[in-house]
Order: sequence, then C-alpha cells, then structure tokens
Amino acid sequence: MPGESRAGLEPAARESLALVLDEVAPQDIAVDHDLVREYGLTSLNKVLFLTDVCERTGVSVAHFTEQDLAAMRTLGDVVAALARHADLVAEGSTR
Amino acid sequence: MTSVLNRLVAGPPEPGHRLRVVRLDGEETVALPELWAMAGRVAAALADRGLRRGDRIGIVSRNCLEWLLLDLAALRLGLVTAGFEAGSVKPGRELAEDYDLRLVFTDEPGGEPGVLSIGEVRALAGGVSEPDLPPVTYGPGDVTTLKFTSGSTGRPKGLGATAGSIDSSLRAVQRMFAHGEGDDLFVFLPLSLLQQRYWVYSALVFGHDVTVGTYEAAFVALARTRPTVVMGVPAFFETAARQIRAKARTRPLAEAARAVFGDRIRYLWTGSAPASAAVLEFFGEAGLPLYEGYGLNETCIVTKNHPGAHRVGSVGKVLAGKEVLIDEHGVVSVRSDFPVNTAYAYAAPGESQRVFGADGVVRTGDLGRFDEDGFLYILGRADDVIVLDNAKKVVVRPIEEHLRTSHAIEECVVVSADRAHLVAVVSPAGEPDEAAIAAQLAATNAAFGRDEQIRKVVIARPFSVAGETLTSQFKPRRNRILELYRAEIVDNRGGIHAG
Repeated sequence: MPGESRAGLEPAARESLALVLDEVAPQDIAVDHDLVREYGLTSLNKVLFLTDVCERTGVSVAHFTEQDLAAMRTLGDVVAALARHADLVAEGSTR
Repeated sequence: MTSVLNRLVAGPPEPGHRLRVVRLDGEETVALPELWAMAGRVAAALADRGLRRGDRIGIVSRNCLEWLLLDLAALRLGLVTAGFEAGSVKPGRELAEDYDLRLVFTDEPGGEPGVLSIGEVRALAGGVSEPDLPPVTYGPGDVTTLKFTSGSTGRPKGLGATAGSIDSSLRAVQRMFAHGEGDDLFVFLPLSLLQQRYWVYSALVFGHDVTVGTYEAAFVALARTRPTVVMGVPAFFETAARQIRAKARTRPLAEAARAVFGDRIRYLWTGSAPASAAVLEFFGEAGLPLYEGYGLNETCIVTKNHPGAHRVGSVGKVLAGKEVLIDEHGVVSVRSDFPVNTAYAYAAPGESQRVFGADGVVRTGDLGRFDEDGFLYILGRADDVIVLDNAKKVVVRPIEEHLRTSHAIEECVVVSADRAHLVAVVSPAGEPDEAAIAAQLAATNAAFGRDEQIRKVVIARPFSVAGETLTSQFKPRRNRILELYRAEIVDNRGGIHAG
C-alpha cells in the first residue's frame, strides 16, 4: 500500500519474494540469507521481486540504480533500501 | 547492393526517429540525427587523440548511451571496437595488451593508464560543432568489431566481424520484418553482443525508433515504453511467460500479456538457444508471436521464422546469402556469401581449424534436418554449451575436466536447471568423500570466471549404462542426468555448496 510504514515493509517484501521463489513460504524466508546462494534467485527474478515489492509499498522503483540492485543481497538489504525511501513516501502522504 | 554500414557512415539519418536509453532510475531520449552528430564529435575527439583507421578500442560497460556513441564514433572513423560484457574482464593494461587496444573505456572505477571512464564520452559528444571527419567506406572484408565467445580454455575467443556479414544480415532481416515507421525495437541484452547493436544501425538506416535498456530495467520499462519488437533469449521469455500467467489469474491472457510487454507488440525475437515448444505456443496463444531463429557468432543469423514464413518447432527458413549444408550424419554446416570471418583472431591452437573449413564453411556441430518446405529443425545442439538467462554462453566441458582432476570424482556433468546457476552432478569414485569433493569445488571455482561458478554439487549414484546415465560409449548423458536429478539440482538446501 502506498506510504507503507517501515514495519509493514518486511511482510510485503516476504510476500513479493515468495512469489518468485519456488515452494518457499513468506514466513520461512530468512532475513539475512543470500538471495542468490541460499534461495537460487535469478537476476531476472530479482528485478521482478523488487518491482512487485515497490508496487506493494508505493516506493518508486526509480529510486534505485542497477548498482543498488546488485548491492541488495539479502531480504534485509531490500527492506533497508525500501525503508530509506518509504519514509519519504510516508512523510509526503501526511502533508 | 548498397552497404548498410556505408549508408550509416555516409551522412545523418532522416529526422523523425529517436533512440531512448532506459535505466532503473530513468530514461533519456536522443533524436537520431543528434545521436549521429554526437557520435561525430566523439569520433573527432578520438582522432585528436591520435586514433586512426584500424586502431582498436575496448569497451567494458553496462548498456548506456556512451556505449553507443563510442560504437558509432568508431564506425565513423574506421576504428575496430572490442566489446566485453561488464564484469567479465578487468579493464586494465593487461586487457589492452592482450587484445591490442589503444584505449579502454569502462563504467568501472579504476584509473590505469589507457583506461578511461566511459562517462567522459558524454563531454566529448557535447557542443554543436560538425567536425570534418575523413570519409570512411567499408569493403565487405573489412572488420569493424571483435566479438567474443566462451572458449574451451576459459579465455574468450575473439572473432573479427566483417562489414559484409553485418550488411548481409541487416538486409536479410529488413526484408523479412520491414522495420520502419511506427516501430520501436527494444534491446536490453549486453551491447557487447554485436547483434544487439544491429538494431541501432537498423534504426539509423531504415528509419525507426529503438530503445536500449539495461538488463535490470527490461521488465520495468517494457510496458511503459510500449515497444513493437522485443529481442531476448529464451530464458527471458520463459520468465516473462510465468509473469503473464500470474497476471492472467485475474484477467484475460491477452490483456495480461499486454500488461507485461505493452500494447504495441508486433512480434518477439529470440535465438541463441532453443526455445521450448511450450513457451513458443504460449506466446502465440497470448497474441505475441515469438519468432525463433538459428545462428552462431561464427555465422551470424542463418535462419529465422518471420511473419511471412513461420513454423513452430523449426528455426525458420534460410536467409538470403546463407546456405545450410547437412552431411550424412545430420551435422549442420553453414556457407555464407559474406562470411563473418574465416578464422578466430584469438583462440587456442586448433580452435579455428575445428570450426572453420578451408572453404570458409563453418562447422556448427549441431544436428539438423529440413522439412519438405525448407524449414530447418535443429535436433540437437552441441551439448556442452549452456546459455544463461543473461545471454552469456558457458562452455562446461573444461569446468567438468577440472572437477575430474579430484581423486574423489569419477565423472561429472555441469548443468543448469534455471539458466542462471550452474550445478555439478558428480559420480563419486567409490564411497563419496564429501570433504574432498568440497575442496575440489572450491579449487575449480577459483580457476574459472564469474559466469562459470558452480553453485553446488549433487552427489549422484555412480553413473552407469544400465542406470541410463552413460551412453554405450560410456559418455555421461547430460540431459538424462539433468532429468533424473532435477529435484536435487533445484533444491537449494541439499548437496555440497560452494563456500
């Protein structure tokens, strides 16, 4: 949902990630596991994951560069990256 | 016949069309006449640095406007480009010496002498001057670029591509697809692959729009930019098909397809590796025809399905200027009126002789047959090449040979179930020695490049003829092994993982 609070980001990210992973439930995804090594996330699916979670949380994917995407290695990294921009979205939505 | 490349360098394109470059964080648009002028100013700046016809420049970068400016500037000046996929090589003095590069441009941080930031190209392209460049024309045998493929030694093989082969391919494609007014071709595979740059040349000469994206931005930008043609490898379209299926749960299939690709698609282009019949049929049902073709780096495009001649399961009919020869064993060779080349510029001893016949015919190693209407079917491809979803080709045989140097490994095959990660399936020598196999995995990964890393090892039952994992000649049956161990290969938890 647009203007997602920081606390709401992780569940949204889990849901998005589970969509592109085979047979992994959202609640079973470890926040600090390497998405490629541990979960076999392909680079295309990583993009789809980010796009989906951005749609869910109202954070524009345009905040991120290709280098930012490469640096997102874990679910925790993605949530932290979203949080930096979700705060701005939330502030904007309350004005 | 007019040379497409000579038309490109002879003068500015007609106004009315544009190049769009898309990244995750935005996009920029340049009118094609302005792109041509910018490339001219870059060419003049390179000439000022002393670069002359035949000199080589290296480019190690993600897709960006500057990549295209350098490529077009090189064409305008008669330089030879050597494009390397970002991250696949270290852009430094060693690379320059290995491939006789006068300058190397990169988007990676660094600063060795002779290595320039590709970002500097933007400044070279600025201003309004129209420099007076020496006229350049290309003969059919002139080499404009080096293209690279995975070699059996781990070092990329370099192949000079002739202007005649580029012209011949572009003309044949234009006859089949008639790209023009209203078209916008979407390209996102690395520009280091020459064929991706074809579509920019095509835009400049035949008059249409072209969009060049980064690999990461492709899915994000497709629906927004509304292209009419998308160029991708089969693994990309497989992922896209899954996306469309997911969206089709709540809406009609054609509408779901438009949600992913936009609403203007005329056709989708694929090649490099076999596309599955299921994916081809799926896109047909979704209203987005996916045309498969066939060609190697050494042959350029040989056959292609297209709106005028399309048969699902085939790789299409043979292009004008190409001839497909099938010997008594069913092995495909290709003869070209304008060959890409007749030997590698850089390759291990014997590689050129293995692939290029004395008469210029390229031996593909693939098995094929024609149907009665002239459509070519590829029945089996050289099975030691895996094409990853980023279009990178990995030759797995040298990796397997390296793994087999361990006393604990009797036999092995390297496979990929998801076209993104490599997995080794190992037939152990005696009782599995997991520690020794793990040590060998680490040693092998250390010996190979970024795209050749094995993610994990699956320990199989000893390969055997009776177990259907060896041929009667005691060679591993790669596809059968993949089929038998698919569950273990895709399971991220089991097996021996790389450290």
